[in-house]
Parts: sequence; C-alpha cells; structure tokens
Amino acid sequence: MVDKKGRRRSDRPPVDLAGDLKAKRAEFVHTFFKRGAEFTEELVAENERLRGRLAALETENTKLRTQLAKDSAVRELLGKIGQLERERERLLGEVHEAEETTNRFTNRFSEIETELENFANLYVASYQLHSTLKLPVVLRHLRELLLQLVGARALAFFVVDESKRKLVAVASDGVERSALAPITVHDAAPSGSGAAAIIERVFLTGIARVLGDDVARATLDSPAACVPMRVDDEIVGVIVIYTLLPQKKSFAAVDHELFKLLGAHAAVALTGALLYQRAGNARPSLDSLHDVGT
Amino acid sequence: MSAEYSCLVVEDSPMMRQLLVLALSRVKSLRVTEADDGVDGLRKLAGGKFDIILTDINMPIMDGLKLVKRVRTDPMHKNTPIIVITTEGSSEDRKRALELGANAYITKPIQAPQVIAKVKELLKIDT
Repeated sequence: MVDKKGRRRSDRPPVDLAGDLKAKRAEFVHTFFKRGAEFTEELVAENERLRGRLAALETENTKLRTQLAKDSAVRELLGKIGQLERERERLLGEVHEAEETTNRFTNRFSEIETELENFANLYVASYQLHSTLKLPVVLRHLRELLLQLVGARALAFFVVDESKRKLVAVASDGVERSALAPITVHDAAPSGSGAAAIIERVFLTGIARVLGDDVARATLDSPAACVPMRVDDEIVGVIVIYTLLPQKKSFAAVDHELFKLLGAHAAVALTGALLYQRAGNARPSLDSLHDVGT
Repeated sequence: MSAEYSCLVVEDSPMMRQLLVLALSRVKSLRVTEADDGVDGLRKLAGGKFDIILTDINMPIMDGLKLVKRVRTDPMHKNTPIIVITTEGSSEDRKRALELGANAYITKPIQAPQVIAKVKELLKIDT
C-alpha cells in the first residue's frame, strides 16, 4: 500500500494509536469532570446565594407584613380616637348645656330666695307696725325695723308740731335725742345742704331723699335717707337715717320698698298709738263700732 | 311628715323673733318654739328636749350669757348646740358666749340664709 506521499505503509514510522486515544480520552474525562466539578461548585454557590436571597426576602416579607399589620392597627386606633373625640365633644356640649341650665336654676333660686327674704322682711315690718297701740312699743318696733332690716346705725323720727311749726325728734337711736334740735318749718323749701335743711325740704316737698352708692359718706349733717311720713295725703313727719352699719354699702331695692311702707304706715301707727295713749289706753266701745258701721 | 329636729328661739324683740321664726320655717325638718327671754327659755327647756338653741344676748330678766351658762349645766341640754345673736359692736359678748359654751354666733342685722346655713351646719342637715 502507498500513502499520499508515495510511501509505503511499511516505510512510515510506527504510530501508537491506542495510547494516543487513551491519552485523549483521559484528558477529555479529566476536563469533563473538572468542568463538572466547577459547574457543580458554581451551582452550589448560586444555590447558596439564592437561599440567602430567599431568606432576606422572607425576612423583608415578614417585616412588611408586620408593618402592614401595624399600620392597620394604627389606622383602626386613629379611627377609634376620632370617634372618641367626637363623643367627647358631644358629651362636653351636653355638660356645658347642663351647666348652663344648672346656673340658670341656681340664679333663679337665688333670686327667689332674695325675693322671699324681702317679702318676709316687708311682712314682718307691716305686721309689727300694727301689732300694738302702745306708743313706746310702736317706737321700739320702728327703731328695730330700721336697725335690723335696713342696717341703720343712727336714726331719728321727727314729727311736726303744727302749733309751733316745728319738726321735733320724738325718738332716736345711735344719736342722742337731746342733740337733735327742733327744726323750724318755713313756708318754702330751703335750699341749704345741712341735715335740718334736708329734713325740712323732705317734709315740705314730700319727696324722699335717699343717697345712692355713697352712703358710706353719710353723716349726722348729711343723712343717708330722709323719708316723709304720711297720714292719708298729709305729711306729718320725717324718718331720718343718718348713718348705716359699715357692712351696709348701699340701699337695696327692698330698702326702698321698706321706706315706702314706713312712709305710709309709720305715721298711721304712731298717730293711732298717740290717740290711744291720749284716750287713757281705752279701747273703743262696741257702740262706737256700731256707729262706724252705720 | 313630723319634724325631726326641735329648735328653741330665745329673743325678747317680737320683730326679731318673728324674723328668726320665718327664716327657720324654711328648714323643713325643724319645729320652732319661741321664748321671750332667758327665764322663759329655761322654762321651755325644762319642758322637753331641744336639738338646737338660738338666743339673743341682750335681753331683760335673764340675758343670753346667763342662759348659755345655765344650759351647759343642764344634763339634758349640756351638749345641745347654741347659736348666740349679737350686735356688730359686741365682740366681748361673742367671746364670752363662746367661752361659756356657745357653738356659734350670728351678727345683727340677721340674714335668713346665714341663719339657715348655721342651723343646718350645727344639726348636720344636708342642704
């Protein structure tokens, strides 16, 4: 046999084909296993990386789930808080309304208490004024009414002596009666500012003179109140309150009502007591009452 | 409904007495008895048990101070609350009354709410 170069097979050097193939196979197997090992290592590494990533994602997932749960709870709590706030506002409104109602009732109750006390005072004044015909007792009641109900500290009752045209102090308290000189009554009301002029003016005009908020400045020369006393339409005297107790800062509405009552009733009580005294404390007979009836 | 408490008012002035009785009549559970002076007061006290006593200081025959002193020696009323009624200027009387055993004082001119409050306070009546 001749090869391409014209040489005979017997001419060519001997070739170890089996060994060559064996070597090549060994190399291939070596490379194959090496690559396989490398690939396996890569796979293991990738697997590890993926496991780590999975764990991280699971952790993150757990965190997110927790966060979501928290947010939901917070939203729920915020909703509850809002509801409670509204409830609180509603209840506060009701409380304020109830307080206003209570205050209204308290004020009204206080007003009624004051009115009740005022009525009681006026009732007692009227009752006591006409509860006796004894002159000293009438005078004592008049003094007590002014001391207790009005809070007078110094006072006097002047009654006109028509024959002498003088106002004479018939009773006093807190000031000596002897210190109260009779006041001459002129034809016209005087314009002076002293106590005598004020009392005379009140007697002649029939108009009471009562100080306002400045009662603390009242003195014996500038009385706190002068009230004319009437029997029917005739003025017969003047009630004079010179000064008041320190705690009495001004006259109240009930004081003015009491002045009106005393102005209309004091002189009647005094006149009745005077007539009774002049009659020797003799009560009218039944016959005289019959005469009045006819 | 029968009264729970009995009160004795000792006052010589009819007007003051009437004012006090009117004020105290607003305390629903109170029955009020009146006395003209200290002697009359002792007479009324001897006739029955009272839960509280209001007395004026200045009275004829027997004044309020003597009455307080006598009440405190009375076995039936030695612990009964006593309110004395004084005038503004009589601080010595107030002091003496408290020393003798009075529990409280009220100054004239009296105010009904003040009287009611003091009586309720001493009788421990809820308002």
